[in-house]
Amino acid sequence: MKHTCRLALASAMALTLGSPAMADTVDFMSWTYTEDSGKATIEKLIEDYQAQSENDVNPIGYAWSDMIKNTFLRARTNTLPDLSQVQARLLPTVANIDGIVDLNDVFGADKLEQMFPAGFLAMGQIDGKQVALPFIAGTIGMVANRKVLDAAGIDEIPETMEQFRDALVKVRDNVPNSVPYGMATKNNASILLDYMIWMWTFGGDIIVDGQPAVNTPEGVAALEFMVGLMNDRLAAPEIDRPDARRLFGQEATAFYFDAPSAKKFAADFSGQGDAYTVNVMPMATPVTEAGGTPASIQWGHVLAMFGDENAKPDSAASEFLMYILSDDVIVPYALGSGAIPPTTTGSNSDAVQNDPYLAAWSAAAVAPRRNTIASLENGAAINDIIGEEVQSALLGQKSAQDAADDMQGRLAEALK
Amino acid sequence: MSDLSASPTAAPRRISPHAKRGGVKAGENRFGILLLIPALTAFGLVVLFPFLEALRLSFYEFTIQMMSPEFVGLDNFRRILTDPTIIGSFVTTLIFVSLTTFFSITIGLGWALILNHPFRGQAMLRGLSLLPWVMPAVVAAFLWGWIFNSRYGLLNSLALDFGLIEYPVAYLSTNAGAMAAVVITKTWLSVPLFMAFFIAGLQNLDREQIEAARVDGAGNFHVLKDHVLPHLRPVMMVTVVLGIVGNLQHFDTIWALTGGGPVRATTVLSIEVYRRAFEQWDIGMAATVGVVWVATILPPAYFYLRQLMMRAE
Repeated sequence: MKHTCRLALASAMALTLGSPAMADTVDFMSWTYTEDSGKATIEKLIEDYQAQSENDVNPIGYAWSDMIKNTFLRARTNTLPDLSQVQARLLPTVANIDGIVDLNDVFGADKLEQMFPAGFLAMGQIDGKQVALPFIAGTIGMVANRKVLDAAGIDEIPETMEQFRDALVKVRDNVPNSVPYGMATKNNASILLDYMIWMWTFGGDIIVDGQPAVNTPEGVAALEFMVGLMNDRLAAPEIDRPDARRLFGQEATAFYFDAPSAKKFAADFSGQGDAYTVNVMPMATPVTEAGGTPASIQWGHVLAMFGDENAKPDSAASEFLMYILSDDVIVPYALGSGAIPPTTTGSNSDAVQNDPYLAAWSAAAVAPRRNTIASLENGAAINDIIGEEVQSALLGQKSAQDAADDMQGRLAEALK
Repeated sequence: MSDLSASPTAAPRRISPHAKRGGVKAGENRFGILLLIPALTAFGLVVLFPFLEALRLSFYEFTIQMMSPEFVGLDNFRRILTDPTIIGSFVTTLIFVSLTTFFSITIGLGWALILNHPFRGQAMLRGLSLLPWVMPAVVAAFLWGWIFNSRYGLLNSLALDFGLIEYPVAYLSTNAGAMAAVVITKTWLSVPLFMAFFIAGLQNLDREQIEAARVDGAGNFHVLKDHVLPHLRPVMMVTVVLGIVGNLQHFDTIWALTGGGPVRATTVLSIEVYRRAFEQWDIGMAATVGVVWVATILPPAYFYLRQLMMRAE
């Protein structure tokens, strides 16, 4: 028995020491890998990479909603992946994890500035560090359904709030059983985005200098506007983002806020596939006065690297990261997601420039702003407070002013 | 038996060199304990350890971004007492449990009384009455969700067809409507179980006593009040306690039907714990609410166990 053990040990040592340099394995954590629509794409990406590299990639999938939780649980147990897909809005939170790599140290700031336009590169910057690189980029903005507008007799996309309201009334009066604006009135996370955009549109902000500012005249005006839409049946209760997407695809909603992937949802829910996407029109969020700056929220996915051992330009993780961001990979991936490839060469490529949908989306999103709530340590709790108070106003349980005052008090307590 | 008291200083005489200490009774007890070990182990692992861990965490601040929990003493309990939203959850729980338990038992008893009478198709109706009980709660929630839906719901469709309303009503978007929806759904799910309890209780009701009462001129109401209900009292006590405990723990139907909304209208304690733990990732606070929640379940659970043990004796 002792002899057998010695033999086995010697064999193992010989195999370890005597074999040529072994390939490294990159643990890549992604939610796209778990989604029906994206799994095949990620698998192909990994397969192609492995065909041209001696390294392997081990995909780790978690559902979109479970990613942040699992990232932190892995951080606690020292099992962080080498590379991870991260929602850009949650990057400030993820950046707190020990072991996240400053990619300026790996690739050099100059090289990254050459690779990416400044706006996109900023998606991955926290406190002067480049803790992630942009994967796909876009904004959360408004889309309009051409067919519904035609049915309602609307010839032009509304640009001001007044025109927007008139358009909604026309849809309500001319399209039976419609919800003219698919405003999120259910699910706190969804309500927040609509509220935030209208708040910005009216010139306010939810948090100013670290303090809540929701019961300012601008904040109350934004809430009153949303309540007015409900009272006039221009928006409806029991609408979450998925409901709005479905109604939009079924030509029962004319406008709603979404990411560029709205095109894909419309294709799915219309039952007509890609042929339907010509009816999805990206538009600038209406403004209070002509010439104003339309509001939209920065949206995108970034890629973060963990582990000091990966913080070298020739590490397997670095090599795989650069492979993902190469034009041949990132351009088809981003276009397939209805999003903009974030690299300079990618966004200037013919495929992107000749895509009318993306061109229109880019034109509509002139000054996207970062979701300020997502970066807060107790962002989820704050999101719930905002969602609950906005919903209480929308459902007529409180006046806009009372809801704004209550929200102000609860936020002040939560931000202490 | 040998009389040991006759010679107190003498060593106890062993019946057999193979006899075990304590005799047959003690041996049976030890064997009984041995049989309990698997159940006790499972209880310890699945119930006791998680509860003690939750109890420990209730004294800590532990959010998702913290690498390790930080001891805060009774701070979380203080926050519960001063947070109107959590106090609101207790009130909502009280309303939900009271209404659901009351309607489940009342309708369950009424339905049991009907089905206890012989009539054609009685057996089939009894079988069909159990259908909601075997249906998964989430499926039932979606079913009722579609009935109450503001756009495609059956209720709105009927009301519109009969001209009762001009526009569809969003029942689940009003506090009363949402609470009514979750109470109706849970009642619908619970009635078959309670009905089965009451039917079982009614099987050994003394028919001659009822007939004698009727000969004496007692009407239906008096028969129910003076004979049937007193007879069902032990069953009633068990069903009330089971109903309260079950409704205090209830989560799935409410979550699937309203998600605790609108606003917080149906946020009972189970929903509160879920939101704190898995939406806000405030594990310490979720554990604290959970501990208080368990404390509310313990009195009726104790009462139920005491009833069972008293009956066993």
